[in-house]
Amino acid sequence: MNREDLISKWLDNNLNPQELEAFKKLEDYDDLIRLNNGLQNFKPEYNTKIELNNLMSSIKKEQRTQQSWFKPFLKIAALLAICFSIYYYTTTIDTTVTTQLAQKTEVSLPDTSSVSLNAKSYLVYNKKSWHNNRTVTLKGEAFFKVAKGSSFNVVTDTGKVTVYGTEFNVIQRHNYFEVICYEGLVGVTYNSQETKLKPGDSFLILDGKIIAKEKETRQSPSWLNNESEFKSIPFKQVIKEFERQYDVAITLKDIDSTKLFTGKFTHNDIDIALKSIAVPLNLMYLKDNKSIVLKRE
Amino acid sequence: MSKQLHDNICEEQLFSSIFNKYSKDLHNFLYYKFGELLNPKDKVQEAFIKLWQNCAKVTPDKAKSFVFTIANNLMLNEVAHQKVVLKHQQTKPKAYTNENPEFLMQESEYNDKLQKALSNLTEAQRVAFMMNRIEGKRFKEIAELLGISTKAVEKRIYGALKKLREDIKEL
Repeated sequence: MNREDLISKWLDNNLNPQELEAFKKLEDYDDLIRLNNGLQNFKPEYNTKIELNNLMSSIKKEQRTQQSWFKPFLKIAALLAICFSIYYYTTTIDTTVTTQLAQKTEVSLPDTSSVSLNAKSYLVYNKKSWHNNRTVTLKGEAFFKVAKGSSFNVVTDTGKVTVYGTEFNVIQRHNYFEVICYEGLVGVTYNSQETKLKPGDSFLILDGKIIAKEKETRQSPSWLNNESEFKSIPFKQVIKEFERQYDVAITLKDIDSTKLFTGKFTHNDIDIALKSIAVPLNLMYLKDNKSIVLKRE
Repeated sequence: MSKQLHDNICEEQLFSSIFNKYSKDLHNFLYYKFGELLNPKDKVQEAFIKLWQNCAKVTPDKAKSFVFTIANNLMLNEVAHQKVVLKHQQTKPKAYTNENPEFLMQESEYNDKLQKALSNLTEAQRVAFMMNRIEGKRFKEIAELLGISTKAVEKRIYGALKKLREDIKEL
């Protein structure tokens, strides 16, 4: 066996005992062993177990950083959603105007139409959809000056009033519904039947019955001038209006409250007002702070 | 029945066993080929992280060549970045010794020569030779690991030995 084969077999760790003896007798044996020993100094250091632990921890850290990118994104998205819904809610919500007892107010609608609200009334409209749908909901009493344009609706519990640029007064109280037209044309839908009102016409429903009334001659409702005027109206409705205007409680003693009353009272002076409703019916009144008792003389 | 039990390696246990099987060979391969200055350990880690991220696409029998290719490319990128002198770490000689100083000096001189001679080998020669000499791997094992024939491994190792001895004599 020649030298090269021996060295090659040694390299492959494949020497049998006789070959090993022959290899040891080679002249370069010492040289090779020295080289081999020297090479052992270059042994790499590698611990599989430690490296595996390092790897696993860095893999887990990577997964965590991926999550931590995702979470703030969710937070921002949620915040935006909340902001948007608040914005959407506040811009599309109905606008509500309410007046308390003994209080009046004027409301400007988005198209320069104006509404005067009498005491203890309630008006709802929607700014957002105003240009497509001019509709207000009313409880109580209000005087409307409507700008010209598409149809304008006043919805009340009792009936619906439709107009095209006009001035009219709507009263919707307990068992009492009255529309008076001052200018233009007003349609009143009551029990799905429409009645057209020309200027000066009025539409009155008392306790569910339609009552005919004579022509209105005034240009605007009396309450705008701080007066309440009545023509053949049951006395109990007059008393209720009085209570609303002055925020008082009125007790009637032995008085027929269905008796019709014609007259007016001012909103500025309670004593004069009391006299103007008491004297025509020959009544006496006792006033004690916020409660008033009316009785026969 | 040579059908594979798993078609991917996303399971942590399987992944760990692949790591245990190949990471040391991969590390040593990089170490022999590029030296220790380019952090072969880091490259092994990076390659296996890539393997984990792509675990759904890699079958167990492809895993080895996947990490070897990735790690090798990572190394080549870094080699292109910085020209580094090849250096292999040397384990410190024992602190106590009963050899005489002259012998110690000869030893350290010999080691320096050996280091230089090693860096003069071609990459292919050095990898095969060091795998064989330092880890005591048989020709057949090396051939399998490098994907070449046993004859080629033998040729490389023998050539490396010859060149080393000539270089050491010359220096």
